[in-house]
Amino acid sequence: MNLYTLVTGASSGLGQSIAVRLSDNRRLILNGRNPERLQQTLNSCANPDQHIVWEFDLCDVQNLSDSLGAVIAERKIAIDCFVHAAGILKILPVRSVTYKMLAEVLNTNLVSAFEIVSLLVRRRVNQQQLKNVVFVSSIASEFGAPGFSMYAASKSALDGLMRSLAVELAPNVRVNSILPGGFRTPMTEAMLSDPTVEAKLVRDYPLGLGLIEDIVNAADFLTSDRSRWITGHQLVVDGGRSINIAI
Amino acid sequence: MTIVFNPMAIPGRRILVTGAASGIGRATSLLLGRLGARLICVDSNGEGLEETAAAMDGTGHAFHVRDLNQLDAIGEWLPAIADASGKLHGFVHAAGIPAPWPLRAISPASWRKVFSVNTEAALTLAQVFEKRRVRAEGSTSIVFISSVMASVGSPASVVYSMTKAALEGAARSLALELSAKKIRVNCIAPGFVKTPMLNRVEALWDAGERARVEALHPLGFGEPDDIAHAAAFLLADAARWITGTVLVVDGGYTAQ
Repeated sequence: MNLYTLVTGASSGLGQSIAVRLSDNRRLILNGRNPERLQQTLNSCANPDQHIVWEFDLCDVQNLSDSLGAVIAERKIAIDCFVHAAGILKILPVRSVTYKMLAEVLNTNLVSAFEIVSLLVRRRVNQQQLKNVVFVSSIASEFGAPGFSMYAASKSALDGLMRSLAVELAPNVRVNSILPGGFRTPMTEAMLSDPTVEAKLVRDYPLGLGLIEDIVNAADFLTSDRSRWITGHQLVVDGGRSINIAI
Repeated sequence: MTIVFNPMAIPGRRILVTGAASGIGRATSLLLGRLGARLICVDSNGEGLEETAAAMDGTGHAFHVRDLNQLDAIGEWLPAIADASGKLHGFVHAAGIPAPWPLRAISPASWRKVFSVNTEAALTLAQVFEKRRVRAEGSTSIVFISSVMASVGSPASVVYSMTKAALEGAARSLALELSAKKIRVNCIAPGFVKTPMLNRVEALWDAGERARVEALHPLGFGEPDDIAHAAAFLLADAARWITGTVLVVDGGYTAQ
């Protein structure tokens, strides 16, 4: 039976870059919403013919288990590693947040991860093959910022889930999270064209803004045997941002 | 054949490791040697240092018997070593003294000796490392071996906890002070690892205590290599955007 690594959010940004890196020596299940962009990720991966594309909107948590369960059963595979990189960031004053928005953020960022792990530790579904789980959290899990109520709540809950899973599923499964600070993406490039935004980021980030590869390196480390005694840990990758309460 | 960029590689980097004669310091030295680094291994135990030297891969390593209790001497011997061996790209302060003493058994003399090696030596090393005579150009990395006892407690661990918590506090402020010079500063907080230090602590335990302590680690006791891999990660370019953090490597000890 072939073992696969599931990467959610693989159609763009960090999830895509993690998938491309891990494709060097793993078979992948690439999850995302947009089929064209998933295909682009697949084409960028090493050995494109050995990976599986699973097109599914993780916000649909009611049908998630059935959909992923069907992929596993039809292909007669098992998943030994799960990287949850899917996430939506909505920045909005708390007075403007609706329940519908909150549910969308929590479902995608948190509940989907819960559902996936819960499925993958069922013996009949995944043959006890799950060994390693990495959640992409955020330094917003630990610190407050205006407009971040939905996002921060989802990431703090994700880290709470991570710690409990680490203890409950040891010693068979390791579970950790990565807490990135702000790193350069096509989205932040647009923000950086504003000089006041750039000045604030230079002041806040002692090592400057990160690159997507900096976060990929952390995911690479946590999914490897080099971290075999690390579980229940929040790995902060933020260029010193979270210890720097700047004036 | 394609040559794949390996962000974990550290070929040719010159790294100082304290406490290199045993345990985590030795495992870190041996792993970094296998990864292509050139090591400067320091310890007060010359015999253990020779054993480390005999097990090392690669060439260009140096071994020096030094007592880290002599803080003033660090400013003398470290620049001299850099003159002889070349400037450093980083260091790992793995030297540490256990202190499994209850409150009633400690005295200023006993805790100062532990504080001196575990904490003050780390700070002095950072101070001397910052100098242009010692530190190589470009991005460099400092790694302090702390302990889970910096953030949680345990009976008869007051002195050890104090030294490690102070070490983590120093690391955070050092990270901010030195970031402009591209010096990264991070800690690793191990749980109980199978080392000679654990053996010394274990000698004081009742029967059954070893199993009880191991059971506090969801993944069991760690191996020195587990810490060595974390140190290698923090020294390598893979961690070029990581500073001021504590990488907890404890088999789940502090997650519960």
